Amino acid sequence: MSDHVILDRIEELRRQFDAELAQAASLDTCAAVRDRWVGRERGIITGEMKRLRELPREDRPAFGQAANELRNYVERELNAALERFGARARELEIARGRVDVTRPGFPYALGVEHPIKRLQAEIEQVFISLGFRVFDLPEIEKEYYNFDALNMPRSHPARDSQDTFYFDETTLLRTHCSTVQIHAMKVMKPPVRAVSTGKVYRRDPADATHSPMFYQVDVLALDEGITMGDLKGTLEVFLKRIFHPDVRMRFRPGFFPFVEPGAEVDISCIFCFGKGCRICKQSGWIEILGAGMVHPKVLRMSGVDDERYTGFAWGMGIDRVALLKYEVDDIRLFFENDLRFLTQF
Amino acid sequence: MKISVEWLKDYVEIRETPEQLKDDLTMLGLVVESISPFQGEPVLEIEVTSNRPDCLSHVGVARELSALYKRPLKYPPCAEPLAVPVERIPYEIRIKDRDLCPRYTGLVMDGVRIEASPAWLQHRLEAAGMRPLNNIVDITNYVLLELGHPLHAFDFQRLRKGKIVVARARPGQRIITLDGVERELDEDTLLINDGDGPVAIAGVMGGLDSEIKPDTRTILLECAYFNPPSIRRTAKKLGLSTEASYRFERGADWGDTIQAAARTCLLIQQVAGGEIAGSLKDVYPAKIKPVRIGLRRRKAEALLGVTLEDAFVTSTLERLNFKPAPKGKGKWQVTCPSYRADTELEADVIEEIARFYGYQNVPNTLPRYNSQGLASPVFPFENAARRILLGLGYCEAVNLSFAAENEHNQFAPGNGERVALRNPLTEDTQFLRTTLAPGLVKSARRNFNHGIGEVRLFEIGRVYSLDSQGRPLERNTLGIVGSGGFAGCNWRHSQTAYDFFHLKGAVVALLRGMRSEEAEVVPAAGVRWLNPGDAAALIVGGERAGVLGSLHPDLAEEYKLKQPVFLAEIDFEALCRKVFQPVKYEPLPKYPAAERDLSVVLPREVSYGEIRRGILGLGVSQLVSVELLDVYEGESIPAGKVSMTFRFVFLDRRKTLTVDQVQAFSDNILTFLRSSYNAELR
Ligand SMILES: [Zn+2]
Repeated sequence: MSDHVILDRIEELRRQFDAELAQAASLDTCAAVRDRWVGRERGIITGEMKRLRELPREDRPAFGQAANELRNYVERELNAALERFGARARELEIARGRVDVTRPGFPYALGVEHPIKRLQAEIEQVFISLGFRVFDLPEIEKEYYNFDALNMPRSHPARDSQDTFYFDETTLLRTHCSTVQIHAMKVMKPPVRAVSTGKVYRRDPADATHSPMFYQVDVLALDEGITMGDLKGTLEVFLKRIFHPDVRMRFRPGFFPFVEPGAEVDISCIFCFGKGCRICKQSGWIEILGAGMVHPKVLRMSGVDDERYTGFAWGMGIDRVALLKYEVDDIRLFFENDLRFLTQF
Repeated sequence: MKISVEWLKDYVEIRETPEQLKDDLTMLGLVVESISPFQGEPVLEIEVTSNRPDCLSHVGVARELSALYKRPLKYPPCAEPLAVPVERIPYEIRIKDRDLCPRYTGLVMDGVRIEASPAWLQHRLEAAGMRPLNNIVDITNYVLLELGHPLHAFDFQRLRKGKIVVARARPGQRIITLDGVERELDEDTLLINDGDGPVAIAGVMGGLDSEIKPDTRTILLECAYFNPPSIRRTAKKLGLSTEASYRFERGADWGDTIQAAARTCLLIQQVAGGEIAGSLKDVYPAKIKPVRIGLRRRKAEALLGVTLEDAFVTSTLERLNFKPAPKGKGKWQVTCPSYRADTELEADVIEEIARFYGYQNVPNTLPRYNSQGLASPVFPFENAARRILLGLGYCEAVNLSFAAENEHNQFAPGNGERVALRNPLTEDTQFLRTTLAPGLVKSARRNFNHGIGEVRLFEIGRVYSLDSQGRPLERNTLGIVGSGGFAGCNWRHSQTAYDFFHLKGAVVALLRGMRSEEAEVVPAAGVRWLNPGDAAALIVGGERAGVLGSLHPDLAEEYKLKQPVFLAEIDFEALCRKVFQPVKYEPLPKYPAAERDLSVVLPREVSYGEIRRGILGLGVSQLVSVELLDVYEGESIPAGKVSMTFRFVFLDRRKTLTVDQVQAFSDNILTFLRSSYNAELR
């Protein structure tokens, strides 16, 4: 047998393999082609290699080399094909598993904090960071704590503005959280840094701007050397944290029986930035809280030396802040628990 | 208080625009609410705080402006009734109760012609929001608006025996006031009497009988100072607030009665043509001493946080009519004007200095914050509960603390105690709530009525009760309401009806999240507002901490609820004592756990809780958990029976359990179920 014949035969096998591989259309048929050609027992190439011993000695090198080349070629082609088909199969699998990611997810429910309660917690956090102690105080109070000890005896005209719910002659629903001043001075020696938030009650018929129950925060700082400047500085920190870092504060004389000097505090309108709008009645300012230096009579009644110690106090409606911050037009919405309202927060 | 800018110009020079006045007065503490024109002239609406009755007049406001702008104050011209004694018409003034009326100044004029006031006078009254009546009444009102001192004019002919007697009323005494109302008086009321009986309620309103009439010719002018708390009490008791009582109860000027009478006298002479017929009598039995206050510059500086010049202190006070007498370096004794009802202590004078220093000019500083911030004791508990319930899909609710009578009757605990307000506002606020349930039910209903069927809310707030002495108490309480679904509803999760076990699941998750002591839910009786079919009590650490279940069908019908509503109410204070158990770490097991499922058919009346307790009581220490996987009743299960599938987890911390061991445990449990409950393996 000549080289020529041998090589023709190898060439013929190669053509045959190419044709078969070209026919293979899937990973499975491709694997079958592999078994037929390079199977360890019955593979065509294996069979050809076995024939090597039957050939004349002089033909063996040429045939061996050609057969080896063929085997390398077949294995290379098969591997490439298998890889191609494998990748396609994974692709198909992925395609079958493709989901419409734009459909909504599982409807886990998530509750929403009440807007006033959230503000209340935020306010308490600001004061805790400033070194204040938060007091949790009773809503049912003795008249003494709510009024008399705060320099509001029964004959005081300022009592008119705080129409009060009474249980009996001397027991009432607190009309403000300023009771924190008296409670704090009772249990703490100066320095006192006290704050209290919660529900307060006034006999006001409910309408868009009044509710017989609402929320307040009241603050007391008492120490040697506390000044009105300290009151202003602390207020500024507080108002910037609660409203906006750019908010401006206006501090003007005001009257509350438990402070002297007393002050009304405005913030620059958070809607028009002070230019004047409907909400600030074109003034550019919004009245936000009452403040002042603790009245010497209040200190004396609580047994604090008013020569040695000075203090500041202020009180603010939390609902009022919520009304302003979220532009809510009716305070009653806060106490109706309408989910169309609550879920907006 | 309406202040006409044109009128103000009689007393102080004003170059500023109304807008500038508005800002300047506001920054002095006299808040100008609005500027509204009256017949083309600007009128300031000023909100005067209750401590500054001296600013309830044009001269009062002008005084502040004169001090601010450093321009002189022009006091209006007065008659000189004291100059020539006139005794043409004799009259007498007696004060019996000098504590309530320290000073009474009177003057008699005759020859007055009662007619309509001239246009200028009517115009000014109307600008200040008052209705003109006749010249005499208008003039007293004019002086009230001008000087702030209320005056009263009596028809002298109607004053019997030409006498004025100021005295407390006798109980049961009556008077018909100017408004035509007959009023019964008590002994706290101060009266102006003539020689026979009452002619006016002092400082509040005159009597009808002695009012100025068209034929009045002779008048007695009254300019007095009454005790403010007394006037306040009377006005409150009679429900009668007048321009006069408003000023007297805040404190009129005790020093200007002669001037105010003289000013009125001059206007009457000019406008109504009267003459003095009985000269001025100033009866002043209880001399009032001007308030003197020690003032230290250092104290002012310490309180305000600023540095002050002595000259600034004295000039500011002098411009305001305070008289500082030097008492050493940086110290004064300050005599306060008689019209300043608000100055009593050093701090009051310091406020005057601060007002004119400018609150805005006090530099903002921070105190030494030398203390540690501290949350309220209840905050960690409330915050944890809030976070967990929010995460479970419950929105936070806040209801008013009030309860109506019918709500109280429907929901109140058995003993029916109610916390009543003495002066409720409306029927709905007669009582304080004794339970959170009605508020939450009404919240749910409100949402149903708006077409929102899926309602999950919680509320942490106080409920109220009475102690053994009948005193009101408050108690922090947690309420939960659920209805409609336990989560949202969409293509991945079809609508599930919220039921008892969703509510119980939320309560159990809450307890787990708060690391409570061992808890269980057991049947409960006697909760009026719960359905007896599922009413349950929550026991935490052996103590009853709350109740849960569905709303009683009677109440569901009463409240016209369209769907079942489930409610829990937990005594939050009791719960707080049983939570936040310390964390105790247990090493992770080194050997695998084995699971066994067991389906058995049991009599329906045997509760799961009982079975579970029984199984856990068998003493199989390797049994680490029992779970109820499935409950089935119906086809293939005999009537009166129920099939339960349990999953048991076994674990030995020292070795791997063999199949035989696990089987033995399982058999042990099955034997127990068979012998105790006639259970059959399914
Ligand atoms: Zn604005």
